[in-house]
Amino acid sequence: MTNNIERHAKLLKASARAAKNITTILDPYELFQRTVDIICDEFGFYYAGVFLVDETNQYALLRAGRGEPGRAMLREGHRLAIGGNSMIGASIANKKGRIALDVGEEAVFFENPHLPNTRSEMALPLIVADEAIGALTVQSTEEAAFHEEDIDALQTMADQLAVAIQNAKLHRQEERRSRLLKAANRVGKEVASILDLDQLLPQTVNIICEAYGLYYAGVFLLDEKGEYAVLRAGYGKAGKAMLAEGHKLRVGTESMIGACIAMGEARIALDVGEERVHFKNPHLPHTRSEMALPLIYGGRTLGAVTIQSSEERAFGDDDITTLLTMAEHLAVAINNAHLIEELKEAHNEILRNKVFEALTTASTEAIHWIGNKTLPISLTVARLREEIADGNVDVESLREDLDMISESAAQIIQVKEQLIGAVREMKPRPVLFADVLRTAAIQRSIAPEAIKVEIDPEAAYIIADSTQLTRAVGNILQNAAEAGAKSIKVRVHPTEERGVLEIDIEDDGAGMNDDTMRKVWSPFFTTRGVSHHGLGLPAAMHVVSQSQGRIALVSEEGKGTTVAMFMPQGRVISSEVQPGGVKNILLIDDNDDWSELLAELLKGTKVRLTQTTDLKKIPATDLILVDENIASVSLTEVLGALSKAGLAPKTVILTSAINPERVTQYLRTGLKDVTVKPYSADEVSELLK
Amino acid sequence: MTTVLLVDDERLIQRSLEKTLLRAGFDVLTASDCKDGSEVFSLNASAVDIAVLDLNMPGFDGMPKPDAGFDLLVDLKKQKPNLPVVILTAYDEVNKAKDAVSNGANAFFVKGREQGLVELIQKILSGN
Repeated sequence: MTNNIERHAKLLKASARAAKNITTILDPYELFQRTVDIICDEFGFYYAGVFLVDETNQYALLRAGRGEPGRAMLREGHRLAIGGNSMIGASIANKKGRIALDVGEEAVFFENPHLPNTRSEMALPLIVADEAIGALTVQSTEEAAFHEEDIDALQTMADQLAVAIQNAKLHRQEERRSRLLKAANRVGKEVASILDLDQLLPQTVNIICEAYGLYYAGVFLLDEKGEYAVLRAGYGKAGKAMLAEGHKLRVGTESMIGACIAMGEARIALDVGEERVHFKNPHLPHTRSEMALPLIYGGRTLGAVTIQSSEERAFGDDDITTLLTMAEHLAVAINNAHLIEELKEAHNEILRNKVFEALTTASTEAIHWIGNKTLPISLTVARLREEIADGNVDVESLREDLDMISESAAQIIQVKEQLIGAVREMKPRPVLFADVLRTAAIQRSIAPEAIKVEIDPEAAYIIADSTQLTRAVGNILQNAAEAGAKSIKVRVHPTEERGVLEIDIEDDGAGMNDDTMRKVWSPFFTTRGVSHHGLGLPAAMHVVSQSQGRIALVSEEGKGTTVAMFMPQGRVISSEVQPGGVKNILLIDDNDDWSELLAELLKGTKVRLTQTTDLKKIPATDLILVDENIASVSLTEVLGALSKAGLAPKTVILTSAINPERVTQYLRTGLKDVTVKPYSADEVSELLK
Repeated sequence: MTTVLLVDDERLIQRSLEKTLLRAGFDVLTASDCKDGSEVFSLNASAVDIAVLDLNMPGFDGMPKPDAGFDLLVDLKKQKPNLPVVILTAYDEVNKAKDAVSNGANAFFVKGREQGLVELIQKILSGN
């Protein structure tokens, strides 16, 4: 009796210790294995094993077993029918512990070949909330090792084990849910920023497969008629192959995707259990579970996502919840991408209409323009013919007629220059804007002093082709002058956009009404009659666009017009001028921004720079530089004087706007060269070579 | 002597047409826009036998206007209802021609075919 009491007390203690250890384990696989080891070690049993009820509630599956016998039975997938003849099956069915002994009248013959030495066995149900979730078996090599009263002592431990199993299960679910939520979040966040459908969908399947660790994912979108779900993106090689085949599925019950779209709800298929689904897609041989999620936005089904796993029963309730969240994010992103596409299409439509309108306006204006330009020629020629035929030619009248023909022809040629000029080769470089502005003004017979200029020192250089920029600025200045501007203000300053400068050319001329403002960018549109070709602003726009800039115009009738050009900012690297063999330079130029720049660049070098516009005393020099656009003295006089002094071969004409016709003209007079003005030390070095 | 009022803002066209008309033996008064044209006409209303008006030129407010010639036509007709008027235009458009007639013009003349202008003026003035 004392022995029994001692043994029972020992069992209780061991049971408490085992329970304490067991409850700290959260990982289910570790939990089962450690439990059987702890039980065997604490109680000195021959064997212990844990069974759990399977999903069908028909079998108890062995989940852990002590030692080699346990491993062997796990490999065999050892299971016992619930409510059957086995001790485990009966204890689960009855939710009661049982004992079997190899002695006495009810002797049981233990026949498990893996456990040949078992002489006593106890089966204890694992009960959670009055439900048997499994059972524990403990076995001893001793005959009659267990007594009925031992059941209670060990059941306490089994109850603790059941709680621990439940905790581990909840913990695992929680962990998985959190992982899935993170993945859903990642998908949501990453897809929201992609607005191009062709980018969005392939990215999405990649993100889904990576985030969830899935075998395959694909996105189907409904076709226009709503008859088929067309695969638009698929993961990996399988996806690529199916996309190449133009894989599509009919909306309806023939496929999971079709059914999911037809019913607007998620579908799951699992390759387990009695209602086994046979996955037959030859591109996806390893699929064992599949889920189809509808893509719904604003009550409209846009398509569906298929996600597939190579694991059996891969998707549970939690997955459905988080994946549905993900699908909602995706549907929003797809809808956004659709909207952007529609917007783009609408924009293109507007653009096409605008282009058409511009072309129509341009054609009408061109007809008008050509009519007006050629009319004086044909008219005058007809009149002259008559006069000659009559033998009645008045020399004064003839001279006037020839002038009219010549003027009309010149205007036609000017159009050619505007059209051809704008498509001439561009050589973008940092250009000193103040110099371009001055040249443009002089070329258009606008006194540079009449223009009020404010240039932020940070905004001195603009990246452009100086010839083209001079043309564009000249066109704008000429428009201002012809609009009757008394004052023209030019401001150049940096903008909030990094590397972009704003050039504002503001005049107080006649301004224009809305109708005119809409047409100003159309070629040949002009409000100013015969001497105008209506190409000034379109040509300026062309030049600015070619320089990666933008141009805009605001105008108010009676108040004036402001043209704003947004141009890339230029930066000049400060380096030292390499003068080559040049020691003395004579510069014939006004005192302007460019002559100051040249003096600054030559400072500290051995080159001596003399600047003058006085042609009476020309000092001895190695090189003569002449600014083509000089205001204080006429270029013809300068070139005449230099030629007379025999200095033409030492003379180089510099210009910010080079023109092939003029180059030919200058070179024929024996000048050394005609070239674009240098705006940096490197360009000056190049010039002095 | 027949007097023609010629209104056109295109300087070279105005001068060239003027010379052609002078050569044909007409007296020619010229103006470059509606306001100018109306004033010149007012001062010489009794002398002017026919007006040749450009269609697209500055209107009475001095701003360019595609159909300014019609405005001047109406103005001149108010001053002298039986004044013959020829509308001169670069636009070869049937609708513009119809507008010209409905505004009381005697002829619509497309620039570029002006060799017949002298004959046309003579024809209108002879009442044929």
